[in-house]
Amino acid sequence: MKGRQNDILAAAGFLLPNILGFLVFTAGPLVFSLAVSFSNWNLQRTIPFQWTGLDGYRELMRDNEFWLYFVNTIYLMLGMPIAIGGSLFLAVLLSQRLRGMVVYRTLFYLPTFTSGVALMILWKALYNPSFGPINAVIDWCLQGFGINDLLHAIGCGPLAAPQWLLETKNLLGLDVEQVGFVAAQRGIGAREALIIMGVWIAIGGNNMLLYLAALTNVPQELVEAAQIDGASRWRVFRHITWPQLAPTTFFIVVMSFIGSLQGGFEQARVMTNGGPAGTTTTLAYYIYTKAFQEYQIGYASAVAWILFAIIFVITLINWKFGQKELSY
Amino acid sequence: MPPMKWLFAASFAVLVVLSCVAWSIKPEATGTGKVPLLWVSDDNPARREQIELFCKLNPQYDLRLDPTNTGMEKVIVQSIAAVGPDLFDCYDGFQLSGYVKSGIAWDITEELRKEIDYDKDVWAAAFPNFVLDGRAYGFPTNVSANAIWYNKDLFDACGLPYPTGPWTWEQFIPIAQKLTVREGGRIKHFGLLCDWWNWRQFVLQWGGDVYNEDGTRCILDTPEAIAGIQFLHDLMYKYNVMPSPADEAAMATAGGWGSGTITYFAGGRGAMAIGGRWWLCTLRTVQQEKKKEGKGLRLGAVEGPHGPVRVFRGYARATLVNKHSPYREQALDFIRYEARKPYNDLINAQADALATVKRFCYTPEYLHNPDFPEEDYNAVWRDVMDYAVPDRVSPFINGQAASRIIEKQLDLVKNDKKPVQKNLQRDPEARARYDEIVRRKNR
Amino acid sequence: MTSDEAAKSVRVYEPAGRGGLGTPGYAGWWYRRGQFIASHGLLAVLAITMLLPFLWMVLASFKPLDEVENLNPFPSRWQPENYAKVFDQVPFARYYFNSVLVALWVTFLQCLTSAMAAFAFARLQWRGRDMVFRLYLATLMIPGIVTMIPNYVLTVKLQLLDSYLGLIVPASFSAFGTFLLRQFMLTIPPALDEAAWMDGAGPWTVFWDIALPLARPGLIALAVFTFMGNYGSFFWPLILIKSEHLRTLPIGMLYFDSVYGKQTNLIMAASVMNLIPLIVLFVVSQKFLVRGIQMGGVKG
Repeated sequence: MKGRQNDILAAAGFLLPNILGFLVFTAGPLVFSLAVSFSNWNLQRTIPFQWTGLDGYRELMRDNEFWLYFVNTIYLMLGMPIAIGGSLFLAVLLSQRLRGMVVYRTLFYLPTFTSGVALMILWKALYNPSFGPINAVIDWCLQGFGINDLLHAIGCGPLAAPQWLLETKNLLGLDVEQVGFVAAQRGIGAREALIIMGVWIAIGGNNMLLYLAALTNVPQELVEAAQIDGASRWRVFRHITWPQLAPTTFFIVVMSFIGSLQGGFEQARVMTNGGPAGTTTTLAYYIYTKAFQEYQIGYASAVAWILFAIIFVITLINWKFGQKELSY
Repeated sequence: MPPMKWLFAASFAVLVVLSCVAWSIKPEATGTGKVPLLWVSDDNPARREQIELFCKLNPQYDLRLDPTNTGMEKVIVQSIAAVGPDLFDCYDGFQLSGYVKSGIAWDITEELRKEIDYDKDVWAAAFPNFVLDGRAYGFPTNVSANAIWYNKDLFDACGLPYPTGPWTWEQFIPIAQKLTVREGGRIKHFGLLCDWWNWRQFVLQWGGDVYNEDGTRCILDTPEAIAGIQFLHDLMYKYNVMPSPADEAAMATAGGWGSGTITYFAGGRGAMAIGGRWWLCTLRTVQQEKKKEGKGLRLGAVEGPHGPVRVFRGYARATLVNKHSPYREQALDFIRYEARKPYNDLINAQADALATVKRFCYTPEYLHNPDFPEEDYNAVWRDVMDYAVPDRVSPFINGQAASRIIEKQLDLVKNDKKPVQKNLQRDPEARARYDEIVRRKNR
Repeated sequence: MTSDEAAKSVRVYEPAGRGGLGTPGYAGWWYRRGQFIASHGLLAVLAITMLLPFLWMVLASFKPLDEVENLNPFPSRWQPENYAKVFDQVPFARYYFNSVLVALWVTFLQCLTSAMAAFAFARLQWRGRDMVFRLYLATLMIPGIVTMIPNYVLTVKLQLLDSYLGLIVPASFSAFGTFLLRQFMLTIPPALDEAAWMDGAGPWTVFWDIALPLARPGLIALAVFTFMGNYGSFFWPLILIKSEHLRTLPIGMLYFDSVYGKQTNLIMAASVMNLIPLIVLFVVSQKFLVRGIQMGGVKG
């Protein structure tokens, strides 16, 4: 690309349409919300508007709820690596030139299509502690394979199938009322239920679609040449496909972090109401509640900008890590 | 493959054509000379009939519905940009104070007094929705109080006489226990179904409340409030006459009647249920569907059992007028419509809860709707209004913020994770958090 | 970072010669057959778990109201009239048309503006490029909900309230799309556009004839995402649209979801119909994706 060091004019032309809309509909409102985060703006006008500087941020640091929901948000991200890895695996399978691949792709994408209400009702039924098929299978395994008898023999209490959406317990034993761990809270509960559901929805969803698109850009001649040279499947993937996928992987990882840090809103709103006892409330849902149910726009903006800072730092880390690992 | 340029150009052409189609099938600016009025309310068949009647009685107006998901977000956001609707719904006292304090609701006290002596003529339970500090900002659309719906078929099957009120929870328990029937390890139907958000009714019936008189303190930690919640808890976990959350989840799949207490009840999963007259909107639909299959759903209603105090939760919805609307004077005609006979009769006939003007509930048509002759329980819904108490709101704290803290604790009670006493009384941290919020608002 | 590095990673694996024309010698018939069965078997099992909820939804749309949430997927009595009811009770066809029209416009505009911006970020050299790009990226990190109010006020000020334009214009510029397409354009071997530059082609020609065709897989993915996202958007049309004839599907569906009569079976019927344009779009887009492979093969 020598000799084309500065295309500033052309670049300006190409950027113009996007940057105009971007300035008006994104940048402007963002600056506005940043300004608002330094005020006590309340839609309900019980308190007169005033600039409060960093008060909102200070209050937030002391806000027990904020930290609880922050922990929830992070915890619910645990399914992310599985979802991304699974998407890649599926995409590789589906990028083979076999008959009926479009049918499979469509089928895998269906959960992303299907309306949230339908999915919610169905998953609630699946997670039903007494009659749901998931617990039926777990019970069958526990009884059938004599696992409980075995546990009894070695002096442990019997295992019971989890209560799923009704349960505040979680794998790490996070406490309900303050940030911390309690042994009594160790188990499987609503958060795990949401993680599993999330992986199921995401695995054949947008990430798979992106990987599929990226895989079609992998030059087929390279792959075939390598195969002729006798390279194993894994080596072909590792040394030809994977580097070609690097920019897409980078995109997916960055967007997944952003998406899941801002996520959990729909689930909380339609499926769990953020419960039981607030264990599935995420920061995005908290911001919504603060802004549109409690009218504290100022405070909600402060939470949003703290969330921004967290995402920003994570993206920077991704960037550094990505440069090394993804040769990007 | 055609070059990309062509692809984009073709797409653009198709879109332009589609837009022209959209433009051309735009409806005419209807009713030339009619005043357009916009009402933000939830969209449903009953609401559309109410609008139709208004437009028939007042041909000078073109009243349109702007649907919402019943929160305040829409009206608030629209009003910030000064493009709010002309009329909008208000679902509780806290929303009213929000609208008034934001300067969106218009004080129509004088105009309303010319139409109706609302202090005397309107059910008291509807007041928090439209009256604040003695000023009126709109008019209630409908009102309701909790009583008991019962399923006559299930009573007959158990050989029990239909209940009559007034009665107490002590009288209620043995009957409900007989009506909780197990079949093959599963519960066939429960004695009682009750939406969890009715916990306030139990607090009231045991003489407690959520806030103290002036709204400066949350008093859910008083012995009265704890006793009320404890009883609700016992209905689930001690007397086992009411489904716990786990049971309820089980019903959704096993019985297949959809979630929600109304659908469980309609599906015969409970012999009695705490509810309002507005349930009938749904129950009538179910009855119709069942009729097609040659089955039926025979209903009865009775005043609910009471605790130490004979009170029941009352609630309402009201329509307010937007202060900044250019048509606010005209919008008053809708408020007047809501205070008059045709509208009130329609509400009663639709069973969209209860008409807000008392005297229209004392008519023969109310007691016996000729279209639904089997509905012989209408007097119950009216008479229970005398004991209806609306939810008390604190002017100092956002109801949503308070309920997030309160519900979190109650969630633990509901799922039997923590003893009631410990939860409400010995949680100094929640207590302190709540008081802190009130203090801050008070400042 | 920079495209140079990405380019390097591509160049390293340049083939020694143009192979791929002969028959792969190592793969016997049995090997290929086994591979075929294994792939299909695994995919089929996975696909069934994905398909079941959808089937369940379709069946639920034929159920009477009282059976909707039953785990037993088969209705005791088939009610195809649920579909007719959806059209009877609300002007569903109009909502449908509005949703598709708005989503198509947004998709078109977003693809175009994002592709142009992505080209500037990925294939043109200019000072400050990466700074500006990072700024773009940063705006993705703010939850959209806090910009809702200023955006709304602005839209009202621009006289776009209660109009198609108000639904289309603010949604047509996306940092997400720019980021996505930039990543795809980075994978294009620089040799390709360098050759074009050498031949004296301007940026406009390079954009249309080289960058866009080669970024087509990304463009297709973006089109699917944008269409889906916009087609399902709820809160923005809820506050923006006041006239019945401009309502979109998600708003129209509120009618079936009211407090008094939650008609879940009709919600299911409406949802199934809701899905049809999405599935059509998806299948068509995937056809294009397959063709993309062949094209890329020829060109590369």
